[in-house]
Amino acid sequence: MILLSIARVLKFALQDFGRNFWVSLVTVTILVLSLFSVNFLVVVDYISQQAIKSVEEKIDLSLYLNADAAEEDISALKRELESIAGVVEVSYVSKAQALESFQSKNRDNQSLQEALREVGKNPLNPSLVVQAKELADYETVINSLDKLSKHAVIESKNFDDHRNLLQSMNTITARTRQIMLLVSFIFIAVTVLVVFNAVRIAIYTHRKEIGVMKLVGASNWFIRAPFLAEAILYSFLGVIAVTAIFYPFIHLLQPYLGSFLNTASVDLVGYFNGHFIIIFGVEFLGASLINIIASSIAVGKYVKV
Amino acid sequence: MILFENVTKFYPPNTNALDNFSLEIKPGEFLSVVGQSGTGKTTMVKLLIGEEKATKGKILVGDWDITNVRPREIPYLRRQIGVIFQDFKLLPAKTLFENVAFAMQVCGHIPSKINLVVPQVLKLVGLEKKIWRYPNEVSGGEQQRAVIARALVHHPKILLADEPTGNLDSINAADIINLLEKINKFGTTVILVTHNKEIVNSLRRRVVTIDAGRVISDQKIGKYIL
Repeated sequence: MILLSIARVLKFALQDFGRNFWVSLVTVTILVLSLFSVNFLVVVDYISQQAIKSVEEKIDLSLYLNADAAEEDISALKRELESIAGVVEVSYVSKAQALESFQSKNRDNQSLQEALREVGKNPLNPSLVVQAKELADYETVINSLDKLSKHAVIESKNFDDHRNLLQSMNTITARTRQIMLLVSFIFIAVTVLVVFNAVRIAIYTHRKEIGVMKLVGASNWFIRAPFLAEAILYSFLGVIAVTAIFYPFIHLLQPYLGSFLNTASVDLVGYFNGHFIIIFGVEFLGASLINIIASSIAVGKYVKV
Repeated sequence: MILFENVTKFYPPNTNALDNFSLEIKPGEFLSVVGQSGTGKTTMVKLLIGEEKATKGKILVGDWDITNVRPREIPYLRRQIGVIFQDFKLLPAKTLFENVAFAMQVCGHIPSKINLVVPQVLKLVGLEKKIWRYPNEVSGGEQQRAVIARALVHHPKILLADEPTGNLDSINAADIINLLEKINKFGTTVILVTHNKEIVNSLRRRVVTIDAGRVISDQKIGKYIL
């Protein structure tokens, strides 16, 4: 008997979807547009995270060493630096590498190249370049570096400029995250309201039908269940459609993003592939939940009689 | 048996749709309830199908006291009382067969029984050739016949017809009344709520006249007196 009822509920849901095709299509379309907006928000969030990350990767702290520093002293210092909490990498830049890098960076600056030739020897010192794990770790790392005074191999270490830059960056990233959170909240609230309303309108068109169902002795469960099944069907079709539309969209977007952020690390498609279940699964569950709540409220209004 | 015992239905702010209303209807009767608009006829119908609750008094359907029927009992009450309305109330997206079958499906009847019974009742009301038509593809009279068929699939002891001929021409109206009489002959109690003087007078059955929420006349073989 239960199986028979479930089968009938599913049959009615599918019948209703087909026979009220235009109302169903409009509801699914609104759902698709809403889910597209949510996915677009995910893209914007991903881009902003990547932008912050790419800036983070470009920040490093250099400890300039004496030109005649012994290799074992440098190695000892490197090990000590690596043991500092928050440090992710310490790399050694030799005098020759420093010169090469300097020349390559200032290839077009003729006066600097001329000055180097006049000096006649490599004026640059070797250095140890420290990279912190995250932007927030730099403050701790700088404080630890400031305490490193016992090493005779260190010629100079001044991080005041870095400190100011990092403070500004920390403020900017914190603000960016706050703004993204606020925008996400507004966006999702609008989406919820739009979908909620679309489902309620779809059920409003069925109000007479619900009245007839009551009249012939249908139980409340039997009236509600097809609408709930239909709500889940809307969500399922909505997520399938948005997946089909969104993937070509991010494939088109991908090359522009890479050049815009000037980094090759932006892999939007890879990000969506890697988070497919979580993104589209949560969207399906969220949409189903909103649709079910909207359906329950709307149907509940008409089954009272 | 249906019994209304001193029933009052009050609607705020100051309307008594039924006022100390009492009426007894015996099993198998054919009863016409007449009265002008706003005299309480529809309220009586709504109370009988559990759409409204009485403010005071007692309503019995058989041995069942439905005065304070619980919401979850209402579907069972409605399966025992067939109801026909002026505006048909058919599901527009379902065929006539599906509309009638739906009333059985909600009660959990198995498909083989539905496939057997539905064509039979549709034949009984003369719609055997139009069972796969949608409501908007048949005439008003045929729609009302489908509604009667839907009401009959539960084998109700009571058939409540609220202005069933209101939207029909005189020929179709007469057909529907003939059908109701035929159903009554099988033992079903028929309560006909109507404005139609000709129909009431031609029936030569019991007529109850309501005014201001009270029974003002109850004639065994009555006429439309308003």
